[in-house]
Amino acid sequence: MKQMTYAEALRDGIRLEMQRDPHVYLAGEDVGIFGGCFGQTAGLYQEFGPERIVDTPISETAIVGHAVGAAAAGLRPIVEIMFIDFMGVCMDEILNQAAKMRYMFGGKAKVPMVIRTPCGAGVSAAAQHSQSLEAFFTHIPGIKTVMPSTPADAKGLMCAAIRDDNPVIYIEHKMLLGLQGDVPEGEYVIPLGKADIKRKGSDVTIVAWSAMVHKALAAAEALAKEGISAEVLDPRTLNPLDKDSILNSVGKTERLVIVHEATRTGGFGGEIAAIVADEGFDLLNAPIKRVTAPDAPVPFSPVLERNYLPSEEKIIKAVKELF
Amino acid sequence: MEITKAELLSFYETMVTIRTFEEKAAELFAAGKLPGFVHLYIGEEAVATGVCANLTDKDYITSTHRGHGHLIAKGGRIDLMMAELFGKATGYCKGKGGSMHIADVNLGILGANGIVGAGQPIAAGAAFACKYKKTDAVAVCFFGDGASNRGTFHESLNMASIFKLPVIFVCENNMYGISNYQKNHMNVSDISDRAAAYGIPGVTVDGNDVVAVYEAAAEAVDRARKGDGPSLIECKTWRHRGHFEGDPCIYKDPKEQEAWLKKDPVLSLEKKLTELKFATVVELEEIKAAVKEKIDSAVLFAQNSPDPDPDDVLTDVYAS
Amino acid sequence: MATVGIIANPASGKDIRRLVSYGTVFDNQEKVNIVRRILLGLAAVKVKRIVYMPDYYGIVPKAVDGLKSHDRLSMEIISADINLTGTQLDSYRAAQVMESCKVDCIITLGGDGTNRMVAKGCGSIPLLPVSTGTNNVFPSMVEGTVAGMAAGVVARGIVNHFPVVQPTKKLIVYKNGLPIDIALVDAVVLRDKFIGSRAIWEVNHLVQAVVSRGEPHNIGIASVAGYLKPIGVTDKEGLSIEFGRANYKVLAPIAPGLIVPVEIETFQKIRVNEKVKVKSTPCIIALDGEREVEVNEKDEAYIELTFDGPKVVDVKAALRAAVDGSHGSGMEELHKEFVLQE
Repeated sequence: MKQMTYAEALRDGIRLEMQRDPHVYLAGEDVGIFGGCFGQTAGLYQEFGPERIVDTPISETAIVGHAVGAAAAGLRPIVEIMFIDFMGVCMDEILNQAAKMRYMFGGKAKVPMVIRTPCGAGVSAAAQHSQSLEAFFTHIPGIKTVMPSTPADAKGLMCAAIRDDNPVIYIEHKMLLGLQGDVPEGEYVIPLGKADIKRKGSDVTIVAWSAMVHKALAAAEALAKEGISAEVLDPRTLNPLDKDSILNSVGKTERLVIVHEATRTGGFGGEIAAIVADEGFDLLNAPIKRVTAPDAPVPFSPVLERNYLPSEEKIIKAVKELF
Repeated sequence: MEITKAELLSFYETMVTIRTFEEKAAELFAAGKLPGFVHLYIGEEAVATGVCANLTDKDYITSTHRGHGHLIAKGGRIDLMMAELFGKATGYCKGKGGSMHIADVNLGILGANGIVGAGQPIAAGAAFACKYKKTDAVAVCFFGDGASNRGTFHESLNMASIFKLPVIFVCENNMYGISNYQKNHMNVSDISDRAAAYGIPGVTVDGNDVVAVYEAAAEAVDRARKGDGPSLIECKTWRHRGHFEGDPCIYKDPKEQEAWLKKDPVLSLEKKLTELKFATVVELEEIKAAVKEKIDSAVLFAQNSPDPDPDDVLTDVYAS
Repeated sequence: MATVGIIANPASGKDIRRLVSYGTVFDNQEKVNIVRRILLGLAAVKVKRIVYMPDYYGIVPKAVDGLKSHDRLSMEIISADINLTGTQLDSYRAAQVMESCKVDCIITLGGDGTNRMVAKGCGSIPLLPVSTGTNNVFPSMVEGTVAGMAAGVVARGIVNHFPVVQPTKKLIVYKNGLPIDIALVDAVVLRDKFIGSRAIWEVNHLVQAVVSRGEPHNIGIASVAGYLKPIGVTDKEGLSIEFGRANYKVLAPIAPGLIVPVEIETFQKIRVNEKVKVKSTPCIIALDGEREVEVNEKDEAYIELTFDGPKVVDVKAALRAAVDGSHGSGMEELHKEFVLQE
């Protein structure tokens, strides 16, 4: 184990995979000497050179589109879209090209590529640089969606995403990039579709991902002092989703609160709620609660943004409503 | 640039194969035997043929919704294509793609595409892979005049230019973006003019003259193979049919249509072949008859093929 | 009323030589811009009527449309009545129309190929060729503004034709006894079977050439003559060249940026009205840089040099003459009209 930040850990994953497989390369805006907007790729250019760490023009469509072609032609590109908010620019390349190529071609193509992109609010970056848009991607069959919450997961899921033969959207939360934690050294791969219980508990299951895991953990800590034992389950990947782990946990606790930073309506929390209502109705002893951002754009003012985001307090309140 | 008798005859066979395949598809569609949409390449055969004659199986192409001609010229199997048009399990895509999504990755055919302009960044990416792997393979992107108005055009040509990618952008300017006449959808008459904005060579050739297309593509492919970067070739041509089968074409000027029909690329090549005494009329008829037989047996293969298993709806979504 | 014709070829400057060599890129927006300057030049010398070749891009209408409001022209601008084909025939037919309605001067925008087509139809009307093509021996690089003014003073008779308008030579290609086409600068016999992408860039395809003129500063096959035996525009002779065994070797700029060794077996001067036999058939004959004529095995072909090519305005001489008043009534007219304008 080694202490690393989340950003260092995901970079460690990229580095190891690039050392292992010459077909892996990284391309995106300012990923080279500049080292990425939040420093995620610092040092890689110096290690791998301009042929494998490729600074692109500000052309999201061509960044993702070229990756589709390069992947179909045998490479394993990792491309960075500087903010998840910019994914709208290259949506056709994700929605109609990367995601559908294999199916449309009758299974005769492989599109192994990773689109890395930072999500999340918390730095007053306002409505076009702060969103959590994972539900856009979970709605598209043919791609996978990964959202690590810890440095160790960031590394293990990065390696798995790169090795996966499908397009993977790897969403890194910008508020987590500096988070420190223990990370296994050397090869470390976490299979996609495997949830992680971040805290064991018996009275309520809190399903949370990405930055919300940490708020859920803080809430669980507070709740424990009040005698409520909360289990915090991090699905880590939304597609594939580890449905069984969620149902097992709810089977044990009989209560479910889902926390995500994305807006409420059409959010992925609704999908989890539907699955549990459908396949685990008899397990439940209380209604399913969601703690989410409201259906509004992310505001700029720190005061407004604080109020906008799901918080420890809001989670505690939601949990208590179930008892 | 020498073009031998054998080469010219093989161009002819390819063009006749495309023409016959498309005429058969039109007939089958009209008879209600093909599901979905069909966009035919009749009239544009010289472009795909002249370009693909410079390519090998190691080279890539991206195609369009009007893709049958590109696939045939790049070596795609007509029986598997025809079966796909019928939506059969034996089709190129096991009935999951249809006319607009036929691909053969082993032959470097990265697919027809239902999104106008989508092939441009994909071709740039395939070219990126060719360069990255230090091969001398190239990628060709076929697209239309309408697609040159997409943002993908700008981003892809710019990226290809700065990275000196081995890609050839081949614009099939058939003068219509669906029903919209070129002068109503862009304020340039020659799409090759746009190349200058990316610092790459742009040329315009007669897209109905297979030799003119072949020569220009040969130069552009050679340039790409040598690492000298991308090019844009605009081929002026005309689709004899509508945008899709069933399109009443009320937007076309009948006089213009008539003038272009006189410049039919297949008939022009027939004339040239007989003038040069490369083939007699009888020999050309024999080629046509042999092609017709191949197409007929492809139809038979397709019609006798099984439908997909209904449960196959869930296979091939992901690679495992 | 003095009338000036404008033939701006939308297809010039786009052929394969931008790929095989480094041919100038002339996009049509720049042609529009040049025409704008020409029109303003014409307006300054009070030309009141323009006849232009229509084209599928609409170069002249776009030029007019894009003028600033204070530059609005008070002249009649008429489209020549031709059926557009979108091919080089349009230039020829437009020139015919201008000839029949007796315009006083035709400004062309194109290269050697464009001027060749215009020359076939313009009769004795003086041409003022502005270069926007690839191989430009016939037209010259001249600023549009000045070209418009020079064409205007010629058209209005402010200067006399002699010596401001110069005669030129041309080459006539005969097939089986009939004249079938012309070239202004060079007719080149190629070991080719196809017209294809039209341009010439492969030296090993050269068989034979006849040039009406050729100077070392030319570009294209005419330059070969320039390095063997230069022939001036008004010299009463041409040159016949046969390629092959390397009795002579020159380094010649046969296309933009393409300076290559050319091997010559023989060359000799020819007189005006002399015919040179095309020695090897089948072949393709390129006219002024573009593969144009197909000659079959049994055809008999000749190339003849004549001195009845189109008449060409010397821009510098025309404006100088107008100012000097040494020819016609230039001085006063010009002073009245624009030199002393307040």
